[in-house]
Amino acid sequence: MDLSLLPQALISGVLAAGLYALVSVGLALAIGVIGIVNFAHGEFFMVGAFFAYQLFVSFGFDPLLSILFVAPALFLIGALLYQTTIRFVLKAPELNQMLLTFGIGIILQNLALSIWGGDPRSIGAVPYRAVGIQLGNVSIGLVPLGSFVISVLLVGGLYYVLARTPIGRAMRAVAQNRIGAGLVGLEVNRVYLIAFALSALLAGIGGVMIAVIQSPTPTIGLAFTLKAFAIVVLAGLGNIRGIVTASLLVAVSESLVATLLPNGDSLRNAVFFAIIFATLVYRSWRKL
Amino acid sequence: MSVKAPVAAPVPAKGRPRGGLVRDLVLLVVFAAILVALPSVLRSLFGQASVSYLSLAIRAVGLAVLALSWDIVARTGQLSLAHAAFYGAGAYSAAVLLKLTGAPIWLSMPVAGVVAALLALVLGAATLRLYGIYFAIASLAFTEVVKVIVQSMPFSITGGTVGTNLPPLFRPVFVAGEMERWEVAFLRNQGYFLVYVGVLVLTIVISLLIQNSRLRHAFTAVRTNEFVAGVMGVNPARNKLIAFVLSSFIVGMLGAVEAHRFGSVNPDVTFSVHTTVLALVTPIFGGLYTTVGPILAAGVLSGLEETLKRVLSDGYLVAYGVVLVVSILFMPRGLVGLFKKLTTRSRTQSGGEHDG
Repeated sequence: MDLSLLPQALISGVLAAGLYALVSVGLALAIGVIGIVNFAHGEFFMVGAFFAYQLFVSFGFDPLLSILFVAPALFLIGALLYQTTIRFVLKAPELNQMLLTFGIGIILQNLALSIWGGDPRSIGAVPYRAVGIQLGNVSIGLVPLGSFVISVLLVGGLYYVLARTPIGRAMRAVAQNRIGAGLVGLEVNRVYLIAFALSALLAGIGGVMIAVIQSPTPTIGLAFTLKAFAIVVLAGLGNIRGIVTASLLVAVSESLVATLLPNGDSLRNAVFFAIIFATLVYRSWRKL
Repeated sequence: MSVKAPVAAPVPAKGRPRGGLVRDLVLLVVFAAILVALPSVLRSLFGQASVSYLSLAIRAVGLAVLALSWDIVARTGQLSLAHAAFYGAGAYSAAVLLKLTGAPIWLSMPVAGVVAALLALVLGAATLRLYGIYFAIASLAFTEVVKVIVQSMPFSITGGTVGTNLPPLFRPVFVAGEMERWEVAFLRNQGYFLVYVGVLVLTIVISLLIQNSRLRHAFTAVRTNEFVAGVMGVNPARNKLIAFVLSSFIVGMLGAVEAHRFGSVNPDVTFSVHTTVLALVTPIFGGLYTTVGPILAAGVLSGLEETLKRVLSDGYLVAYGVVLVVSILFMPRGLVGLFKKLTTRSRTQSGGEHDG
């Protein structure tokens, strides 16, 4: 174990936490407001990544520019999916809801596979990809830093929307009591639609950033669904505020394991699953 | 089961014919006889082409086993996303057993089943208080944990990220002059097909025994409302565990046979989420909580898949996604439900039953 890598690992973990928080907060929104456990959430993320990739390949769009196109596209996809499918299972048993979103996830993933194939794709040619800041023996890449800043702004923006704006208030009201919110004149279905579309949008923007940071394949979605679940479960289902803390915890422990343990990179994913598993089992035994 | 109070099902057990288990078992014997005769019939009808038809039949029977075993867990209301874990555990325990010990090759299947069942016991015991989405997420995470553990084991045991090889169960010998070349492939496929049919018959027997015993009512009670079931004297944890262990035993054996047939195991392929997807889409399409539904759907879907694989090489699973979404939205009771609806339309509809 090489402790001189510790500061670097901590910084990388914190920077990664931004992206995780962005993706998870969308999932928490869908669960908290609509009560839909969206197994397709990571696929929105993947679709965002591949849209950005395609915009880059076809038109040479910078990823920062493509966010402006990907965000509305994902909002529309989310709205469309809500309107055509999710809407109809709101009152169905939980099993049906989960299976439906799982099915949507399978469709999105395999559509992407048949369009882009299974090979990793990345936006490698952006000029600032290799730029970084050196502080002592810690180096901070511009891209992770940028994605961190964008994520913080977006997550902060979502918190602001939820706390201060009419639509945010409506979402909180619907989350607390669907019937009550309907009785005081809120258009519940419209609030759900916006919440779901917003959730897809946030994941999609996260995807744009991963396309620059890594080289994603169309199967990356499931891993991020699981990561987002780990964070959401850790924060407590439906708890949107706890997401930031949970993301930091998960991302930093992932980074520490990957950097400090021998053979750590292959254990990276195990951290997430171990966290999900341990949290769930711990909670279930404490509760009763 | 040692349930003291009489088990009361919240949903009246309707639709069970008088004949019950005996009639079902007679039908099973007929079904099994047809399957056993199938290779010879195909051979005399199609000659050389029967080899590939038999491959397709193997796939269908394998899918039926996967689907029916998943359905057994679903009957207790659990959405298990860990089927790939038990499938993989079975495949790997067969591979490791034969690699490290001189055990006879036919021992690999029962051992694989037992290992998978033990693993299910561990997962089940840890998660038996989880329900709904918590269980689903935990089981999905569990699959990845098992995969990572297998990957990180020493190379000499599991072969790490590369995987390892298994000997085939059948090695037909080519005798020049007495048979043609393709007959070797035919004999191999025939052997595997019969083993698969054996596993399927075992699965059906388990499923029928559950459906014709108190377990059926206990499972339904747990599925409908775990807390009410508990109040009524049905132990939810125990029933969920029974379903989980039985199902995993079956799917572990299936994993072992498939590993023998493919000749190798590899973490990414053996623990692929595709296995879980197939395991859950098929029974939903066919009709959940039935024995016939998953088997029927396996036949339909494996035919469909074969066609689609030729059209879409990488993304043929998209069809499974579409089937899943369409089934949930338009026929939540599957093909069996659709069929029942068509045949009982004239009679009064029994409202209120909500199987999900």
